[in-house]
Amino acid sequence: MGLDTKFIDKTNAMPGNENKVKEVGRYLYCIADAGESLSLGGIGIAKNRVYTIPYNDICAVVHNCPAQPYQSENHDIVKTWVITHQEVVDAAWTRWGTVLPLSFDTIIKGESDSNAEQNVKDWLKQEYERLKKKMEDVRGKAEYGVQVFWNPKIISQNLMETNQGIKELNDVIRTKPKGLAYMYRQKLENLIKHEMETGADVCFRVFYNRIKKHTTDIRVEKTKKAEQGLQMILNLSCLVHKDRYPELGEELDSINQMEGFSVRFTGPWPPYSFVGGVS
Amino acid sequence: MEPTRNSHATLVDLLDRVLDKGLVIHADLIISLAGVPLIGVNLRTALAGMETMIKYGMMQDWDERTRAWESEHRKIKKASVTSGERVFLEMLGAYYYSGGIYTTWRMGRIYLTDKRLILYHPTFEEVLFEMQLENIKGLTLEREEHANGMKRENLCILLEAGTIARLHALDTLRLKEALEQRLLSLGLSWQEIPKLSLIDERAPSFLGNGEEVVCQGRMWHSMTCQAPAAPANQTWKAGQLYLTNRRLCWWYDFEGKIGFDISLEQIAASTLEEKAQGDTLSKKESLDVIYDSERGRRVASFSGDNLESWKITLNRTTLRIERAPTGDVETCPICEKESLITELSGELCRHCGWIAPKPKSQQRLPALQETPSCER
Repeated sequence: MGLDTKFIDKTNAMPGNENKVKEVGRYLYCIADAGESLSLGGIGIAKNRVYTIPYNDICAVVHNCPAQPYQSENHDIVKTWVITHQEVVDAAWTRWGTVLPLSFDTIIKGESDSNAEQNVKDWLKQEYERLKKKMEDVRGKAEYGVQVFWNPKIISQNLMETNQGIKELNDVIRTKPKGLAYMYRQKLENLIKHEMETGADVCFRVFYNRIKKHTTDIRVEKTKKAEQGLQMILNLSCLVHKDRYPELGEELDSINQMEGFSVRFTGPWPPYSFVGGVS
Repeated sequence: MEPTRNSHATLVDLLDRVLDKGLVIHADLIISLAGVPLIGVNLRTALAGMETMIKYGMMQDWDERTRAWESEHRKIKKASVTSGERVFLEMLGAYYYSGGIYTTWRMGRIYLTDKRLILYHPTFEEVLFEMQLENIKGLTLEREEHANGMKRENLCILLEAGTIARLHALDTLRLKEALEQRLLSLGLSWQEIPKLSLIDERAPSFLGNGEEVVCQGRMWHSMTCQAPAAPANQTWKAGQLYLTNRRLCWWYDFEGKIGFDISLEQIAASTLEEKAQGDTLSKKESLDVIYDSERGRRVASFSGDNLESWKITLNRTTLRIERAPTGDVETCPICEKESLITELSGELCRHCGWIAPKPKSQQRLPALQETPSCER
């Protein structure tokens, strides 16, 4: 996933200045399951006209741009770009049902405008089989994000009441003088920490298996720092058949109702996590 | 449970997907920042807040921006303080500030212009110290042990008013060279101060004509405080004790003036006594100077470092002073001048240096010219 610097023309102006810069790139939003040539209007990044470049029964959803990636220091601008990218992919997804979304800022370049267009076609032709295969994998399915959190305070409180070892140690502390009790409390804290780590592992396996059975494919993502004193113990991307997501929702409901646990359920997303790479 | 797509949390979820995932093309004709593009990281941090920012290592970037901002501001402020003057040298530095009992090194930026030497605090936009180059009368480097235990060089500048300014810079030697170059080009003359330890910034204010400081040091002095409707109360005050060729005086830091002042002729003797000093310092040695005043014999107590040296110096100095003898007098067998019997038989003749047989057998006193090293 290295950055190919040899194609980045640093002398070029920012994208969007169509008058000054010769368009020698095609910004790719997604590959759609349709062989038609169609304009979607000026819904693209920086209000660019989005259209399709077809090959056989698939097409690339693109807009014309200079051969230079979109970059900005301004977060709001980048945020708008990213959301627009998603909106275009969504529009294509709604229209054609099956899409292979591309990652933000993927541009196919060419030495001239017609050359860039041809490069897109050539690439579609070259990768056709693999793209079709991926298309079949995700057809009729959507991606959902599932994140399970727990509240460490509630979980450790429960451990204090239920875990035999912790209960005993806690009772011992009550009988100890102040100085010694401090040492024991450290010991207790370590024990609780250890028990919670073990507990998180158990929860991960249990929840993972409960969720997995409702999915076609599943990806384990990195857990992230959560807000409001919660801890994320599970972060999954799930590829789910479009009419099976209520089953997953029910499963998540039962986890969400457990004391100390909460679930975030996002989607449906185009299958970003399940398209992988092609050459 | 229904999935959701519209909230702040889902936006982060979406960004993860659009920026990090999606179909990745590995081909020569692709321009892509796919993977973890810089903008992606920046953007996410903007949405996620500080904690995440640190996690993504954003503090560095943040720090650089802050520095850049600071650097930009510094330029603006510098321009205002030295406007209309050419700046020859700019360096981080400090100057030794002493006011009353309070002394400190004040830090800032040193600017050497065609007219002045300035120490400026950019953040507070304050000129901490400045001098006109034409007022510089002398320069010297002194080595001192800094509070951090390192030996370092200070640049001491003797000014026209007789005061000394002490500066320390990132490169003190370079500062001195640059300053000398400036003075040369302005056609100003200056001198290397030979013995700086004998000069103090406040000394000239009370020294008389031809009066020189022989010895000085930080010293506590026991003063009698007369509070109304309360018994007299002895308290120790901080200050600086000076022995000049004429008198013994003590500069009272708090009031910024001489708080004790006697001529050498008044001094009868100096001894070291062990006594309680305040509530906590019990049985600490102090220097008691016995002197004659209009109201009779008095004792002044001092406490500080090198008391033994002070005692010796004081006694040697006062021995050389002409004093109207009080008590039984005898003539010296060599020079036939009058001296106290106790002095003549117990020590030596102050006039010719004859030593009576008894003290002669004891160890000879060291040469009078030697002055003990008293701490500044």
